[in-house]
Amino acid sequence: MTTEDQTISSSGGYVQSSSTTDHVDHHHHEHDSLNPPLVKKKRNLPGNPDPEAEVIALSPKTLMATNRFLCEICGKGFQRDQNLQLHRRGHNLPWKLKQRTSKEVRKRVYVCPEKSCVHHHPTRALGDLTGIKKHFCRKHGEKKWKCEKCAKRYAVQSDWKAHSKTCGTREYRCDCGTIFSRRDSFITHRAFCDALAEETARLNAASHLKSLAATAGSNLNYHYLMGTLIPSPSSQPPPSFPFGPPQPQHHHQHFPIPTTTFDHHHHHQDVMKPASSLSLWMGGNINHHQQVTIEDRIAPQPHSPNEDYNWAFGNANNRGELITTSDSLITHDNNINIVQSKENTNAATSLSVPSLFSSVDQITQDANAASANMSATALLQKAAQMGSTSSTSPTTTITTDQSGYLQSFASKISDQSNQIVEDGGSDKFFALFGSNSVELMSNNNNGLHEIENPRNGVRVVSGIDELHNYPWKRRRVEIGNAGGGGGQTRDFLGVGVQTMCHSSSINGWI
Amino acid sequence: MTKTRILNPTRFPSPKPLRGGGDANFMEQLLLHCATAIDSNDAALTHQILWVLNNIAPPDGDSTQRLTSAFLRALLSRAVSKTPTLSSTISFLPPADELHRFSVVELAAFVDLTPWHRFGFIAANAAILTAVEGYSTVHIVDLSLTHCMQIPTLIDAMARRLNKPPPLLKLTVVSSSDDFPPFINISYEELGSKLVSFATTRNITMEFTIIPSTYSDGFSSLLQQLRIYPSSFNEALVVNCHMMLRYIPEETLTSSSSSLRTVFLKQLRSLNPRIVTLIEEDVDLTSEGLVNRLKSAFNYFWIPFDTTDTFMSEQRRWYEAEISWKIENVVAKEGAERVERTETKRRWIERMREAEFGGVRVKEEAVADVKAMLEEHAVGWGMKKEDDDESLVLTWKGHSVVFATVWVPI
Repeated sequence: MTTEDQTISSSGGYVQSSSTTDHVDHHHHEHDSLNPPLVKKKRNLPGNPDPEAEVIALSPKTLMATNRFLCEICGKGFQRDQNLQLHRRGHNLPWKLKQRTSKEVRKRVYVCPEKSCVHHHPTRALGDLTGIKKHFCRKHGEKKWKCEKCAKRYAVQSDWKAHSKTCGTREYRCDCGTIFSRRDSFITHRAFCDALAEETARLNAASHLKSLAATAGSNLNYHYLMGTLIPSPSSQPPPSFPFGPPQPQHHHQHFPIPTTTFDHHHHHQDVMKPASSLSLWMGGNINHHQQVTIEDRIAPQPHSPNEDYNWAFGNANNRGELITTSDSLITHDNNINIVQSKENTNAATSLSVPSLFSSVDQITQDANAASANMSATALLQKAAQMGSTSSTSPTTTITTDQSGYLQSFASKISDQSNQIVEDGGSDKFFALFGSNSVELMSNNNNGLHEIENPRNGVRVVSGIDELHNYPWKRRRVEIGNAGGGGGQTRDFLGVGVQTMCHSSSINGWI
Repeated sequence: MTKTRILNPTRFPSPKPLRGGGDANFMEQLLLHCATAIDSNDAALTHQILWVLNNIAPPDGDSTQRLTSAFLRALLSRAVSKTPTLSSTISFLPPADELHRFSVVELAAFVDLTPWHRFGFIAANAAILTAVEGYSTVHIVDLSLTHCMQIPTLIDAMARRLNKPPPLLKLTVVSSSDDFPPFINISYEELGSKLVSFATTRNITMEFTIIPSTYSDGFSSLLQQLRIYPSSFNEALVVNCHMMLRYIPEETLTSSSSSLRTVFLKQLRSLNPRIVTLIEEDVDLTSEGLVNRLKSAFNYFWIPFDTTDTFMSEQRRWYEAEISWKIENVVAKEGAERVERTETKRRWIERMREAEFGGVRVKEEAVADVKAMLEEHAVGWGMKKEDDDESLVLTWKGHSVVFATVWVPI
């Protein structure tokens, strides 16, 4: 592991303009605003902001201001938090210190400055600054970015970029309906997809030579001569249409009589002997094809034995393979493959990123050196100490008995000579560790007595993965503007962290 | 310029310490102390630290907390195996997620969630394709953790080489070990048959062979088979090792001067393969001392936990369950049970050189392909090319994750 443990030099100061930071300056609202910030609106429609969140209204000017994110080390400004994080990497911070400082304020949500907009109202505020910026731009901004290939125009540059990357380029669709933006993911999937298996099983089961002319709609671009395989390079791309009948590429003269290099397996589940391979019946079964004419129909085959690209955008690949559009034995009229992807696979193909770096803001302790060589007792003491200095906490109903308990716990393991920092704020320790639901022993009796703490209402929301459902790069789904930051609406302040240890039984513990 | 504030970056502005957010340093220290306590049989201290850790690192917290929680579980498991009575007193952890058993289609998607595997696939396939130019038969021995997920793209790439007939492809694997994740839900026979059908659709003749052989004896039966194997004229032997060689016992386990790992490489060399690809994770998990091992593991496994921010919840659970399994194996198991014996790139390169292999550089085109692939993933992924040892290294936020090396006999 090659982390360098560099201590950040503390020489010199780092100047930071508090009027433009979002992170460090906790209490400064950007207020060239039309409305004063409103707080504590009731939750209304689904997907709405946390009622506890603080609503912020920025003017269009401020909203569009650049360089709101500043590096605390060198002061350089960035338009986006992710860019700032990328930049911070260059300062060679050890990974443990790379976590960002935790935000102290409540979560913020933003309203759209445009009065007529639905998101202008605090109940429909969006959870993420970038989201509201993009929304404002998209809806109310001038669409100055234009795609070269098609007529689409965009107000947000990143939308335009994302579109132009995919406009006219390939997408790969498997017969099972899953779509891939990367060829290798597609190929790997294809090799194992059941659609392939079904088709080859069917073809194998047919087990007689078919005239290939009858199934010339099929998608093979190589010729078989008796006993040998000759791949034929395709000379031209297929006609480029996404749906509808392509012209047959080649006519297949013969179907191979198996040679010694092939063993015939009619059943793909036969045990594989070392020298076994499945032969492919090119002809397929006529009776499986509903419309089989050469000229003007695709024979809808459940599976093309060849590459099964569905060219959504009508581009050809260089092998001139045919486009299969049918998912099953559907008619020609309905050649369009409906993307009914299985949830799993579809989900698997779209990456989602709520926020890239350090979606949890965390405080780090004093520099690495400090904690590096602490003894166990010192660490546990420190934990107790930190509890005493913590000044906010979600409300708990932990009695001081318990915190006293913990203090004495710390004392038990420390040397007698060590001082325990005692103070009244001992219940903070639990808030500190979010241990609201931990059962603890009361220090009242020396007996083993468990107290159950009621949970407070604050929860970790790291489970809201539905909101993560927007792809990181331009996988395939367009990034809606509403969901806003998607996962960024989650509680990355760690404010609501709570341990889930319901059954912490300290039976027998001293 | 309105107000300014001087900040000392080593002291973050708020005096607020962890409030559910995790300080990784602190957690690491606690874990290390706990490890020491366990190994010195200090049950009380062990218990105390575990309890504190459990409070600050819930299994559903942020990535650092989940990482720490996985280590916590592992330590707990270790403590309980040493002191079984401890288990009744520490029951605050919910049971760990079970490991998912993947269908091959699920696994295909799973290995592409991050570049972790695809990185090695691209580099290795490119090297293999170059190396087997002109051979009429290609015999690939695929020793891969990913159950042949690298093969479809290799087949496809072979098929796309224009203007020449594709070679006969023989694929040999060893029987699937069910000893470590990821687990699949079909037999290798079925898997192989799918691959063969696929190859056929690409106009490639393929043979698929499964050889019963196990990592625990350094794949000795595999090597034996390969020795007596009749190879055809103009046949290239390719051995693709993707995150599998780490399971072969090394010196700390076989405590002889010549470990099974060394023997394996030597015998491999004697088969005179056309090319050997070695892709592994760049971390040393072989230390005999628990504390060192834990330290190494903690400072490595934070990476997979960090990368799962982009995953859907189910995938993340599966993924993190597997990492947790590895963590538990590294921390809680000893002897032959501890199978995860990953070594660093530096060490593997040493081994390969000792076994008389020479490193080969990956072609520029492949490097470009890797870069293009990384573009499609989260911004934290990167890559570096090391000129002095011809390796490619996948990085996450600048830290080394996986290395890919290519070798030929010298």
